[in-house]
Amino acid sequence: MSPEGLTPELAARVLGRALRRGGDFAEVYAEEKQSLSVRLEDQKVEDVTSGTDRGASVRLVHGPTTLFGYTESLEEEALLTLADELSAGLAGGALAVPPLVRVNGSPQHPVRLPPALVHTPAKAAMLREVDQAARDRSAEVRQVMCGYSDSRQRVWIANSRGTFAHDDRTRVVLALTVVAQRQGLIQIGRETVAQHGGFEAIQDTDLAQLAALATDKAVVMLGARPSPAGRMPVVLAGGFGGVLFHEACGHGLEADYILKKTSIWEGRLGQTVAEPFLTAVDDGVSEGMWGSASFDDEGTPCQRTVVVEEGVLTGYLTDLLRGEKLGFASTGNGRRQSFRYLPYPRMTNTYFAPGTVDPSDLIAGTPRAFYAKSLSGGQVDPATGDFVFGVAEGYLIEDGKLGPAVRGATLIGNGAEVLRSIDAVASDLEVKAGMCGKEGQSVPVGTGQPTIRLRELTVGGTEI
Amino acid sequence: MTPELLDIARAALVIAGSLPGEVEACVQHTHTTSVKVYGREVESLVTADSRGLGVRYLEAGRQGYAYTADLSEAGMARALFDARSNASASEHDPFLGLPAPSREYPHIVGLWRPGVRATPVKDKIRLALDAEAAALSEPEIGTVEESVYADAESRLAIASSLGMEAYAERTHAYVYLSAHARRGDQVQTGMGVSLGREPGAVDAVQAGREAAQRARGLLGARPCATGLYTVVFDREVMAALLSVVASALTAEAVQKGRSLFANSMGEEVAAPRVTLVDDGLHVDGLESAPFDDEGVPRQATGLIDRGRLRGFLHNTYTARKQAAGVPADSWGGFRSTGSAARSSYRTAPGVAASNLVLMQGEGDLSDLLRRVGSGLYVVNVNGLHSGADPMTGQFSVGAEGHLVEGGALGRPVKEVTIASDLLSLFMNVRDLAGDARWVPLYGSSLAPSVAIEAVTVSGV
Repeated sequence: MSPEGLTPELAARVLGRALRRGGDFAEVYAEEKQSLSVRLEDQKVEDVTSGTDRGASVRLVHGPTTLFGYTESLEEEALLTLADELSAGLAGGALAVPPLVRVNGSPQHPVRLPPALVHTPAKAAMLREVDQAARDRSAEVRQVMCGYSDSRQRVWIANSRGTFAHDDRTRVVLALTVVAQRQGLIQIGRETVAQHGGFEAIQDTDLAQLAALATDKAVVMLGARPSPAGRMPVVLAGGFGGVLFHEACGHGLEADYILKKTSIWEGRLGQTVAEPFLTAVDDGVSEGMWGSASFDDEGTPCQRTVVVEEGVLTGYLTDLLRGEKLGFASTGNGRRQSFRYLPYPRMTNTYFAPGTVDPSDLIAGTPRAFYAKSLSGGQVDPATGDFVFGVAEGYLIEDGKLGPAVRGATLIGNGAEVLRSIDAVASDLEVKAGMCGKEGQSVPVGTGQPTIRLRELTVGGTEI
Repeated sequence: MTPELLDIARAALVIAGSLPGEVEACVQHTHTTSVKVYGREVESLVTADSRGLGVRYLEAGRQGYAYTADLSEAGMARALFDARSNASASEHDPFLGLPAPSREYPHIVGLWRPGVRATPVKDKIRLALDAEAAALSEPEIGTVEESVYADAESRLAIASSLGMEAYAERTHAYVYLSAHARRGDQVQTGMGVSLGREPGAVDAVQAGREAAQRARGLLGARPCATGLYTVVFDREVMAALLSVVASALTAEAVQKGRSLFANSMGEEVAAPRVTLVDDGLHVDGLESAPFDDEGVPRQATGLIDRGRLRGFLHNTYTARKQAAGVPADSWGGFRSTGSAARSSYRTAPGVAASNLVLMQGEGDLSDLLRRVGSGLYVVNVNGLHSGADPMTGQFSVGAEGHLVEGGALGRPVKEVTIASDLLSLFMNVRDLAGDARWVPLYGSSLAPSVAIEAVTVSGV
């Protein structure tokens, strides 16, 4: 492979071939990605895997139909053959490809210490330290699973609208799961550090502190009582509580659901959907954030999109072609897992803008509620907005104070209802890293929020 | 003539010839076609061809793994170099090692069918359109969110410096769709699926009707009263539940202390009616193959026999670890059960179930509901990923379905949660229907509808 990956000249030849029998849009997406993952479990570094993914896909859109294929090669011959195969079924006249113009993206994310410059044994040693720190923290720790991975993904994207874009994305992540046991009861605590950036994100983190946090979470939950069930006020802590907005509201704002009218938000732009103090954004540009990039995976510069502004629905999240159908410019949300996949409208980093209330005042002003400190993930039906989340760490708020820990709870409700029922937003915004799955593809996303309070929500638990 | 993939694997071993360690080369080639239709038009047609090499390298009790799609001599040499270097960064483990070569593999007739390759694309598109049309022709079906046809031809070759040489190929095809029923403001979703080894074996119309009927049946749903119910899990829901339990039945989870079954070998872990087998050889099982992902013959492994825990799933590593020193017991089994699994050539083998088979009871669903009398029949659960934990056994999910009243289906129910723990669910199995069928959506399993007593349901 040439060091520059896909050149504009080669891209133009591939696009020309793809459109030689007609079509409305053609795109070539080339990628080279080096990855390393190191995994520790049972006090052993037991898996060290590295590899290179290299390949390109061609997308050809004709009327309502998208033709798509990929090859695990960046050689000219393979790319031209692929373009020929896709266009074989069309019968129109050739379309000219305009000159490709290099697009400037939003700022690249700085990489101070490229992960490839840190020796793999040093990364392995770091996981052993995390493991030891967790075990030193509590005698009730029964198992520690810790994984580190880094990747450098370079992409070259060109399309028949004349766009040529290149992005170079380095990401590092360390994820820790601590399992604690007391008699027959097992509980889990998780923590993650992740950044769109270099190894410095890991180096600058107090890993012993991280291990202590995860351990304490698991140990606290060992002493938790079974969660009550029923309808009650719910306070969602800053950080991973943002999963709720991502799952229950964010997916429904993605243009594919809007276009198919399978979203509760379809046709509702300009309507009041929440209290006037609530603002929500999808932020693809904040420096170093896990879900940020310079370009999305269609060559559109990433941007910050306000989706709910002071309680009013103001925007959807879209890629290039779905945006055109809806009459919007792409919001830079056309994302894909790799060259093996078609792009879909996907969130980047979503969060509620912070309010002015101090989180401790918010709790003090709440006589009785369920307090979800962290959620373990969830599922939603975008057609209805109905969702379920597991609560990883939950407490009761009694008389305005944080009460006993409770376990086994889930939160059940509906996205639109939840948005309407937010009656307080605190000032402590925090954004956490995660992976979002859709259409069989997984992409890095940030989810966050300040501490918020919901008037009422269904809590599922084992105590009736 | 040897298959091309096996030649590639052998070529990698030739390059590795001078290295002191043990080497395993795994070459995978997958060709897939998928069609998605929406609004009676083809939305996308994707053809993909993926081929690559994964190398496992063991030296002095350390293991490293590397992969590449570059199958040139230079590309393979680079992967070998990386695998060796990764081994040096990992920890010594005396139980690591490659499996001994097998002389013979089970022969499963019909895993590869010519129809996937021979069927023209337009006929594959037709299946997705037929499924959509069948759903839309049912009353109250507003849209079909997506109707998908997908198929795959997969080939796998494994060769090792110990003399392993294994090659297999298989095909599958399926149709999947998700229909939305609409009445007034309410929208309910239902899915349908049909699976076979080739397009001709897929019943698209039946899948379409099923999606429509499931969605429509839930129109008008609202929460039911909070309380203890006999819950009847529909066979699809049961399949999803089995997929959660599956990981807890691997020796990997047991040895690492993250299985709820860790200390239960030989004990009662389920009601006496429950018998669970992992059958890696059943011709209709999506995951069936002559050998597992490190070349060890697949087999049928008994896991739960009439309520008692009788076995765990092993790959070569976990079997060696079990054999050496960990308290032996009479049912544990110290041989690989042919359960090595990797998601692609990009990962080293772990342990996973192939096709979980829950032995069915008698009668169809309506017979089962009659026997149950009253309770809650559940057709959809959500939040299973986060709400059911194979390590802690915690189980708390959202559910949709119907009340069971007077031995028959009553009004539809939604927005309720079911909370329990996995062991209690299995211990409280009261009855099973005889309606088992293959479900390819959460791993692969063959499960009937199952009635479980005394489950907490919270609604209003």
